[in-house]
Amino acid sequence: MAKDRLDAGRGRRAEVVKKSKATSKAPFYAALAIIGLVGVGALAYVASRPKNVATTVDTTRIAAGEAQGYLLGKPDAPVQVIEFADFECPACGQFATLAEPDIRKRLIEPGTISYRFYDYPLPMHKNTWQASNAAACADEQGKFWEMHDQLFNQQDQWNGQATSRPKSKFQEYAKALGLNENQWESCYDARKYQPRIKANEQMATKRGASQTPTFVIGNKMVGGAISYDHFKALVDSALVLAKSDTAKPRPSGDTSRSVPVPAKTPGGQ
Amino acid sequence: MIVATLALIGVFVSTYLTLYKLGYIGTLQCAVGSCETVNTSRWATFLGLPVAAWGLGFYVVALALSFLAVQERYAHSRRMAVALAVLTGWGTLFSGWLTYLELFVIHAICIWCVTSACIVLVMFLISLADLRSFRAAT
Repeated sequence: MAKDRLDAGRGRRAEVVKKSKATSKAPFYAALAIIGLVGVGALAYVASRPKNVATTVDTTRIAAGEAQGYLLGKPDAPVQVIEFADFECPACGQFATLAEPDIRKRLIEPGTISYRFYDYPLPMHKNTWQASNAAACADEQGKFWEMHDQLFNQQDQWNGQATSRPKSKFQEYAKALGLNENQWESCYDARKYQPRIKANEQMATKRGASQTPTFVIGNKMVGGAISYDHFKALVDSALVLAKSDTAKPRPSGDTSRSVPVPAKTPGGQ
Repeated sequence: MIVATLALIGVFVSTYLTLYKLGYIGTLQCAVGSCETVNTSRWATFLGLPVAAWGLGFYVVALALSFLAVQERYAHSRRMAVALAVLTGWGTLFSGWLTYLELFVIHAICIWCVTSACIVLVMFLISLADLRSFRAAT
């Protein structure tokens, strides 16, 4: 009798526990449902947004290393030329594809000028740091200029308007150039040459380059996508100066202006 | 219950990153850190699949297990508690490794990845506490 009562009591208690458990699970299911709805909604929203929105790259916290340009031609040529350029700037692309082939053939190859490229990545170009990075990693394997040409020739394929993830394009170029892809990729991912790029950028601002591209030809500085003829005229005037061995700035009728440049060693500052 | 709720949040975080990796989302919302650097690096792929996809798989299994664990049938199953603790423990180790890569190799932080790592860690700690309560009861 007593046992029956006890059993009945246990049964009731178990029922109460069961009931309370069932009710206490309701908020849990509600929470899951709410999170599920919010999550699905948020994912649907981000997936439906337009793609290729450029991202902002914070470059202010990168420590600067030593400025080091990329050299083309004989380092001891009579006229030293420096270019400060941004891989993503259209004017730089225009200069690189229109005037530069002639400059290489007629001025660099014969040994008249030495040519140094310094990165000058501008903040409004979202993929330019990655491009400088890609080129620096190609330089590690001795193919900076090949990558430089690829980047400028196909600027519209990887710039901030075309994509927010230019790496796959750069990877294609690295492959086409026959680079060791693993080495290039590790270098690119580790952003190994970021301090060098930062230093090159700082050198550009220190030298007063106000636009891209900016050229320092002998003791003249000129900005913009200048023509081969304009470039050649500046080289000629610098050549005269170099031959007469006077580094005094000369008055000039063109848009370029004179800048003090240490004789024959403008790079590596 | 908390583990299941966290796992569901984790499912969405990892789905978001997986969709990005597969190209369905243009850019990542990234208020802190550099998510793109991390997610386009060579360490964002593991055994041929995006790390985010592995994460998604992990969270789905964890959600299923923790959901079962609160059901009447398995509420007192010690095996279930062990399985959850082992699973989330493994997840914590893997997330720890990824966070190490972010901090010391890639030198960039992805806020979504850190969020996921925190979720996994909390899931593990709760599962561990749950397992201990089983030990204490027996």
